Amino acid sequence: MNKAVQLQLEKEPNRKLYLSTIGIILAALLVWSFMGVNITGFDPRGTQIASNIFWGILSPDLAFLFDFRTAGGVPYLLFETIAIAFLGTIFGSLLAIPISFLMSPSVVSKPVAFVTRLVVIFIRTIPSLVYGLMFIRVTGPGPYAGVLTMSLTSIGMISRLYVDVIENLDRGVLEAMTSMGCNTYEKIRYGILPQLFSNFLSVTIYRYDMNLRDATILGLVGAGGIGAPLIFAMRSYRWNEVGSILIGLVILILAVEIFSNKLRSKLVNG
Amino acid sequence: MTMIEFKNVTKTYPNGVKALNDVNLTIDQGEFVAIIGLSGAGKSTLIRCINRMHEINEGTLMVNDVDVGKLKGKQVRLFRRNIGMIFQSFNLVTRTSVINNVLISTVPDLAWWRKVLGLFPKEKKIDALEALDKVGILDKAYNRVDQLSGGQQQRVALARTIAQHPAIILADEPVASLDPVTAKVVMDDFKKINKETNMSILINIHHVELALEYADRVIGIRQGEVVYDGKSEAVTQEVLDQIYGSQAELPKMNDPEEAEV
Amino acid sequence: MRETVYDKIFKPKTYTLSNGKEVKQHASRMPFILLIVLFITIVSWEVTGVDLSMIRTRGYQFIVILLAMFPPNLNFMSNVWGPLFDTIQMSLLGSIAGALLAIPFALLSSSNIIRNQLLNGFFKLFLSILRTLPTLVTALIATFIFGLGTMAGTVAIFIFTLSYIGKLMYEHIENVDMGAFEAHESMGLSKVEAFRYAIVPDVMPTYLSVSLYAFEGNIRYAAILGYVGAGGVGLLLDERLGWRDYPSVGMVLLILMLVVFVIERISEYFRMKLT
Ligand SMILES: Nc1ncnc2c1ncn2[C@@H]1O[C@H](COP(=O)(O)OP(=O)(O)OP(=O)(O)O)[C@@H](O)[C@H]1O
Ligand SMILES: [Mg+2]
Repeated sequence: MNKAVQLQLEKEPNRKLYLSTIGIILAALLVWSFMGVNITGFDPRGTQIASNIFWGILSPDLAFLFDFRTAGGVPYLLFETIAIAFLGTIFGSLLAIPISFLMSPSVVSKPVAFVTRLVVIFIRTIPSLVYGLMFIRVTGPGPYAGVLTMSLTSIGMISRLYVDVIENLDRGVLEAMTSMGCNTYEKIRYGILPQLFSNFLSVTIYRYDMNLRDATILGLVGAGGIGAPLIFAMRSYRWNEVGSILIGLVILILAVEIFSNKLRSKLVNG
Repeated sequence: MTMIEFKNVTKTYPNGVKALNDVNLTIDQGEFVAIIGLSGAGKSTLIRCINRMHEINEGTLMVNDVDVGKLKGKQVRLFRRNIGMIFQSFNLVTRTSVINNVLISTVPDLAWWRKVLGLFPKEKKIDALEALDKVGILDKAYNRVDQLSGGQQQRVALARTIAQHPAIILADEPVASLDPVTAKVVMDDFKKINKETNMSILINIHHVELALEYADRVIGIRQGEVVYDGKSEAVTQEVLDQIYGSQAELPKMNDPEEAEV
Repeated sequence: MRETVYDKIFKPKTYTLSNGKEVKQHASRMPFILLIVLFITIVSWEVTGVDLSMIRTRGYQFIVILLAMFPPNLNFMSNVWGPLFDTIQMSLLGSIAGALLAIPFALLSSSNIIRNQLLNGFFKLFLSILRTLPTLVTALIATFIFGLGTMAGTVAIFIFTLSYIGKLMYEHIENVDMGAFEAHESMGLSKVEAFRYAIVPDVMPTYLSVSLYAFEGNIRYAAILGYVGAGGVGLLLDERLGWRDYPSVGMVLLILMLVVFVIERISEYFRMKLT
C-alpha cells in the first residue's frame, strides 16, 4: 500500500456515530408513539360496519347518485364542491402573488422576506375548520364561507410554490435583453412575465387538485360542499348513500387529477 | 493463449434484426483490440454477447475455455466476475461517493449483513483506493460522483473495473461523450492497464484515429459481419471504405434505427 | 404543433418570406382558455353565492373571534399537552407505518422493477383511489370501524401517507437511470444485489425527504382529526369552539403553531441535507 492510499484511507469521513444517533432517536420516537396511540383492534361493531360500507359502495343509492335535478343530489353537491374549490383557488392564487413577491429574498430584503414567511406559516397552521367557523360568522353558513376559507388556506402552499418559481427565473434572458438595449419595462414585459405566467398557472392548477380534496371536508362545519351530507349519511347509517357519495367523490377527483396533469404537461411542453 | 473465440456466431434480436451474422474471431490474452464500424453495424451487440448481456442464437462462443451459451443462473454471474465492462454513459450511481462505486465490484464476495448495512471491509477499501490511484483520481475518493466531470466519471468506471480484477475488459464507446483531450487521457489509462496487467481489452470506438493509435489490432464490422481483421498498422483507406462504405453508399445504409428518424 | 379542432375554427396566420417559404402561426389558445376560466368563475360565483360587499359590511366579524382569542388563556396550557402529544404520536406512527408500507407498493407499481403491466396498473390505480379520499373522511370512516380515539386517526394518517409517498416514489423509481443497474449486472451481481447498490442509493434521499415532508404535513392534518372523534388536539378545538371559549382556543392554536414551526424547521434542516 503506498503512502497516498494510506493517507486517503485515513481521511474517510466517519458517519457511523451520526447515523446511529439518528437511528436511536428514531427508534425512541417510534416506541414513544406506540405508547401514545391506543392500538385497538376492530370495534366490536367495526367489522359489521366495514362490511356495510363495502356493500354500500357496491350497491350505491343510484337514484341519489344520478339525481341531476334537485340540489340535494350527488351531482349538484359535487358541482358545489367544484365551485368552492375553484373560486377558492382563484382568490387564493391572486392573493398569493403579492405575498410571494414579499417572500422572495431576491426581490425584497432578507428581514422582510423572513417576516412574511413567518406570517404565512402561521396562517397555514390554523386548521381550515377553524377558519370555516370564523367565516361563517361573516357570511352565515353555506358555500360562500367555504370559498373564503379555501382562499385563505391555499395562500400558504401557493405562495410557497410561487416563491420557487420567482427564485428560479431564468436570468440569462434578462442579461440577453440588457445586451440588446431593452429598458426595464420591456425586460419585465417580455422577459419576466411570460416565464412567470405559465409557471404560476401550472402551480395553481396543481393546487386546485388538492383544494378539491380539502373542500370536501368544509361541510363538517357547515361551509358547504359534499362533506356535510356524507357525515349525516354515516351518522344515520345510510350506507347506500355513503356509497353513492364516496363513488362520486373518487370519480370526480380522479377525473380532475387526470385532466389537470394533462393540462399541466401541455403548459410545460407548449 | 486464446481468450475469446467466436465460432459461426449469429445473433438475431426478437424483433427480427440480424445483428451478428456468422462471426468468426479469435482474441488472445493481452490483446488490445478496437472494433470499428457504422452506427448499427453490430459493435455493441458483439461486445455484449461476450459477457452474456445478450444471448447468441447460433454458433458457439468460448471465453477462457468456457462455453458461454451453456452457463446457467449463478454460473453466469460467476463468469461475469471475470469480465469488466465500461459504458459510454459511465453507468455509475451518481448519488453516492466515488469509492462506494468502486467498492460495488466486491459486493458478491460480501457477507449478507454487510450488504444490508452497506459496510465494506478495510482491505477492499484499500484495494478500491489503489484502483483509483491507478487512474489518477485518488483525491476524489470521497466526493459524490455527480460532482465530477465526464472524464473523471469515466475514470471512476475504469477504477471500478480494475478493482474487479478481470481477465478481459469490454468497453462500449468509452470516450464518445468526452472531449478530444480527455478522450486521450482515458485511452492512455486503458493502454497502461493493458501493458501492466496483460488484460485483454476490446473497445468499440467511433474515432478511427484513436483506434489506430492505441489498438494493436482492428476489427471492422459491417451489417453484422466481420469485414476486416488485422493489425492496426495495416489499415488503409481502402480498408476503411470497405468497413464504412464509400461516400456514395452511405445513404443506403441499412439501419432501422436511423431509418426511423 | 399538431393541427387540432381549435386550429380549424381559428385559422392559423400565414406569412410568406421573401424566399417564398411559408410559415404558419397557430392562433394563440390563451384567449380561449381565459374565456373558459372566466365562464367557470362566473358560474361558481353564482353557485356559491359570493358577495364581496358582505366582506366590507360584516368582515369585522372575522376579526371578532380572532380578537377574542387574545390574550390566550395561559391556564389552559396544561390541558393542551396531552392531546397535543396524542396528535404528534398519531402522525408519527401513521407516517412511519405509511412510509414503510409505501415501499412495496411503490415497487409493485414501478414498471421498470416489476415487469408486469397488469400488476403495475392495479397498484397505481389503488394508490390513486386511496389518494382521492380526504384524510378527514378516512378518519371518519375509521372511527366507525376502530371506535373513537387515536387509533382511528393513526389509520387515517397511515392511509394518506401510504398513498402520497407510494405515488411520489413510483414516479421517481420509474425515472431512475437504469445504467448503473446494468453495469452492476455486468459485474456479476445478482438482480437483488444490483437493486440494492444501484437503485436504493439513488432513491433513498428522495424517499427520506418525501417521508419527512409527509410527516410535516401530517401534523397539520392530524390537528383537525379530533373533529370527527379521531383523537388529538382537534378534539379540544372542537370542544372549546363549541363553548365559545375563545381564549382557550387561542392557547391551543398558539401552541400548535409553535410545535408545527419547530417540527418544520427540524424537518427542513434534514431535507436540505438530503439533497
Ligand atoms: N435490444 C435490441 N432489440 C432489437 N434490436 C436491437 C437491439 N439492440 C440493437 N438492435 C439492432 O441491432 C443492430 C446492431 O445494433 P448495435 O447496437 O450492436 O450497433 P452498434 O454498432 O453498436 O451501433 P452504434 O455505433 O450506434 O452504437 C441495429 O440494427 C440495432 O437496431
Ligand atoms: Mg453501440
